Amino acid sequence: MRFRAKIVDLACLNHFSRVINTIAKLAKSCTLRLTVSKLYFILSDRVANGGVSMWCELCQGNFFDEYQMEGVAVDHNEIYLELVPENLSRALKTAQSAKAVKIKLTNKHSPCLRVAVELPSLSSSSRIVTHDIPVKVIPRRLWNDFREPSVPDFDVSIYLPALKTMKSIVERMKNISNCIVIEANLSGEMNLKIETDVVSVTTHFKDLGNPPWASEDGCQSSAQDRDLQSMAEARIDIKKLQQLLVGQQVNPTKALCNIVSKRIVHFVLLHEDVSLQYFIPALA
Amino acid sequence: MLSPIPSFHLEKHEKRLTFPLKLFWRKLRGITCFSIDLKCISCHSVSLAVFGRAVHAMARVSDEFCFDPIDRGLALRSVNSSRSAYAYVFFSSMFFQHYCSTAAPQPCQKEKQLSLACKLIIKSVLPIFRCVNVLERHVEKCNIYTDDKDHHITFQLLCRNGIVKTHNLAFQECDPLQAVFAKHMCPNVLRAHSRLLADIMVHFPTSQEEVTLSVTPTRVCFKSYTEEDTDFTKTMVTEIQLSPDEFDYFQVGVDSEVTFCLRELRGLLAFSEATSVPVSIHFDMPGKPVAFSIEDTVLEASFILATLSDIRSEMASQEPACFSQMQERLA
Repeated sequence: MRFRAKIVDLACLNHFSRVINTIAKLAKSCTLRLTVSKLYFILSDRVANGGVSMWCELCQGNFFDEYQMEGVAVDHNEIYLELVPENLSRALKTAQSAKAVKIKLTNKHSPCLRVAVELPSLSSSSRIVTHDIPVKVIPRRLWNDFREPSVPDFDVSIYLPALKTMKSIVERMKNISNCIVIEANLSGEMNLKIETDVVSVTTHFKDLGNPPWASEDGCQSSAQDRDLQSMAEARIDIKKLQQLLVGQQVNPTKALCNIVSKRIVHFVLLHEDVSLQYFIPALA
Repeated sequence: MLSPIPSFHLEKHEKRLTFPLKLFWRKLRGITCFSIDLKCISCHSVSLAVFGRAVHAMARVSDEFCFDPIDRGLALRSVNSSRSAYAYVFFSSMFFQHYCSTAAPQPCQKEKQLSLACKLIIKSVLPIFRCVNVLERHVEKCNIYTDDKDHHITFQLLCRNGIVKTHNLAFQECDPLQAVFAKHMCPNVLRAHSRLLADIMVHFPTSQEEVTLSVTPTRVCFKSYTEEDTDFTKTMVTEIQLSPDEFDYFQVGVDSEVTFCLRELRGLLAFSEATSVPVSIHFDMPGKPVAFSIEDTVLEASFILATLSDIRSEMASQEPACFSQMQERLA
């Protein structure tokens, strides 16, 4: 099992740091899956995570100048590691002017990802900052826990409003209530609602647009026959929604959510070279 | 070791009493006062900001500090509760726009003259100098003086638009402690601008408590402190390697690895950045203290930190710097 990668381009480093910062805001601990062409940050929907799950996919070629990966076995050419993304975020935070950043899987006292940052210095030789981030290697028998989640059979799919707007609204709503209702219909309308004993607040969005989903087998999905005005809704933990919105440092190219009435909300945020899916289950 | 018994060494000194604060001398009444004006000219003077940063640096070490005016200038001292860190900042009278520390001579003084100073609670003083950047912009002048009638120090900030903020702080008499540490005997001396040190420390998380400085004649390395029973599966370890030519002055007489507390040091680093004076590091073998100091014509500061000794023991034994009653200013 071997992993070595290097980033030399500052823009790529910046971009990678931002992705890691987003992941760090969403999960205290998560799984990093390394394949020949992609990296995945995965949070599986265990009770410990509050039912929330995450799937983030990056193409390694868009970030790394050098990338060598040898998996656990020839026919299973992948590596699964459990780590604390905040550590990685911290290691990259002070690397913003680096000449090069190398990441390597090593096993000194215990398995860790060694992030070596080469920084410019006043003297002829560079300054080298090394961070050893502890990781746990996940054995192959557990890999099934981390499969890509399938897109749920949703009732409504709708594009999200500007994330910045959504974030400031949700932040204010968070002060009033612990849970928020997201509802949307196939006419491009979405409402964010909170309700307490003394007050209820609703923010209405319209003309958001509904993404066209082609179903694979050609048959009608449950969304097709739906009344265009009928709202699908789910009541979710407002803090989890806020975490998702706060973590977004760059505006995605596409942002949408799929609502399965009273069951789950599936958020999809797409950037040029990163895709992030985040599932928030509905509260009872 | 800390010498707990106050010893009055003043008989040995040729000089007259250097601590004219008879105000705090319980047995005699006297007219005593000191008054210091710190003038802050918002366009270019940073003296108030520097003073504020000194208070902040003291705050990192302890909850209280000793405000000790002597005729040559004003000394601030603090010691942490475990006696493993000692901070000393001295502003010469020239640092201030006006400095006056006087005492009326008493005809009947016969008893031993205690060298006393004022002990102030940091929590009371810090709010005055809370936002140092704001201070520079809004405060035109700062007066510090005592009142001979009661045990109070007054900090008076004369701000823009005619606003005057007056803070009266009660103090306690205290015997100023001084660390005895012979810097010039240290075989290892490094000197660098505070920016370099700040650039190094930024890589450690703010929660990082202890840091190890390791030197050989060809290599300098700062790393997070780990010991045999550190749980490496949970701890992130950071290490920074530099070349000796990054330092303005580099002398390594003996290969050494000293471990000290980063938290207290950060105060000095922030303070020295405000003054732009290079920081000198004097140290020896593990177990002996390490001194971080800055010095220029109008001020000097020393932070002396105990280091972990080499003995492999459960409780890291710390040899604190020796403290003794105020005799002379720090060597």
